[in-house]
Amino acid sequence: MSEGMLILGAWIAAALTLFLFSFLYKDNPFFKVAEHLFIGAGMGWYFQTIFYKIMIPKIWEPLNSGDPFKMFMVIIPAILGLSLMTQFIPKISWISRYGFTFLMGYSAGMAIPVGLATDFMNQILGTIEPFSAFFSLTPWQMFNALTIAIGTICVLFYFFFSVEHKGAGKKVSNIGIYFLMIYFGASFGNTVMARFSLLYGRFDTLVNYSSAKYFYASAWIVVGLTLYFLAEKIFMSAKREISQ
Amino acid sequence: MKLFKKNIPLAIVLVFGLVSLASYYVPNRMSEDYLEVMNAWENIVSAFGFFLGLISLFYAHYMKIRKKADGWGYSLFVYIGFLMMVIPAIISHGKQLNPDASLTWLGWAFRYLYNPLSATMFSILAFYIISTAYRSFRIKSLQAFVLFVAAFVLILGRIPVGQMIWDWALGFTKVTAGEAIDWIIGVPSTAGKRGIMIGVAIGAVVTSLKIIFGIERQYMGKD
Repeated sequence: MSEGMLILGAWIAAALTLFLFSFLYKDNPFFKVAEHLFIGAGMGWYFQTIFYKIMIPKIWEPLNSGDPFKMFMVIIPAILGLSLMTQFIPKISWISRYGFTFLMGYSAGMAIPVGLATDFMNQILGTIEPFSAFFSLTPWQMFNALTIAIGTICVLFYFFFSVEHKGAGKKVSNIGIYFLMIYFGASFGNTVMARFSLLYGRFDTLVNYSSAKYFYASAWIVVGLTLYFLAEKIFMSAKREISQ
Repeated sequence: MKLFKKNIPLAIVLVFGLVSLASYYVPNRMSEDYLEVMNAWENIVSAFGFFLGLISLFYAHYMKIRKKADGWGYSLFVYIGFLMMVIPAIISHGKQLNPDASLTWLGWAFRYLYNPLSATMFSILAFYIISTAYRSFRIKSLQAFVLFVAAFVLILGRIPVGQMIWDWALGFTKVTAGEAIDWIIGVPSTAGKRGIMIGVAIGAVVTSLKIIFGIERQYMGKD
């Protein structure tokens, strides 16, 4: 890739980044252009991934292998997949059920053991495992193990609606709520920090692209956007005055 | 017609669901082969599912352009964005790097087009999350206060200013902000998360069984 293309890329990347950030001021055509480009580019990215990772190695190559068994094993899912396209023809759209039911059946069948193994058994195991060597733990580790076990039971009880939550049961479910609140708070904090981490990355890129090496791309685009918003404001206020 | 429209699709769900479920628990060469084949089939059918969505999106934007609906000009950029990724991909045969580790056309499009767009789009959410929380969140109960403290410690404790404030205010405890965050995530937050995950797993199993046995069939649509 030539140096010129890298500089052009820096200008495009800086422009698209700033176009999207411009929405923080207000909705504008630059944001909408970048937003629609994002939808298209996202679909393009997944399209090429599916084309080169699934369509060619898993459909095209087996079909051209000359092996009847391999061809047969590709034709069935390809027909099931093509059946989905009948969604566009209302009269025969029921045919798409064949493809959907295959996906649903297989996914449901796999969701049971996977869900049981990872989300159910592993979580229970993680909760009770420290108790297998409980007295070899330090007092602090014992406290933590007990807190997790009690907290998990209380949260589960909070979601257990087969008995009325009153008396001692209400207290247990209330304790469960506090553990849930801590989890929600921690999740919120983590989400915010993850987004901010992306934000620092974008700022870092913009600073990088504002260097002389990239002909001050970020700075010029900021100036351009500022001029646009100023011009728009002047134009709009003049228009308002004329109409009054 | 009911046979083709309803009974056979439900039979497909039942058969593939039960056989996939059984294959997971049967340590046999045949079941391993079956799962491998089904995984490939699922990839293929899902790929067509993606094309279904893609065509639907293109059709919606085509209709917007054709009817000259409000903002129809922006719809053109959906096609431009798509082509800006797909044409380089075709030229580069789906590879992002050349053998000498330099960028291919696809690598260039990913780095300078898709990556800035996706990273910026998600980073913008930081502002909205904070502003929404500020406007809607009120500490009206002890439970809300607990949520606030957990979030506050996690956000502030991860930045240098927050760590300085922590050391100034709570330095006497000899517990650092990092240790406090690790404890919150590792102990009380884990307890809350485990309760939810166990509940979700039970819900997923029950829903899957309902799908397999045809009790839940909304995905089949009407008629």
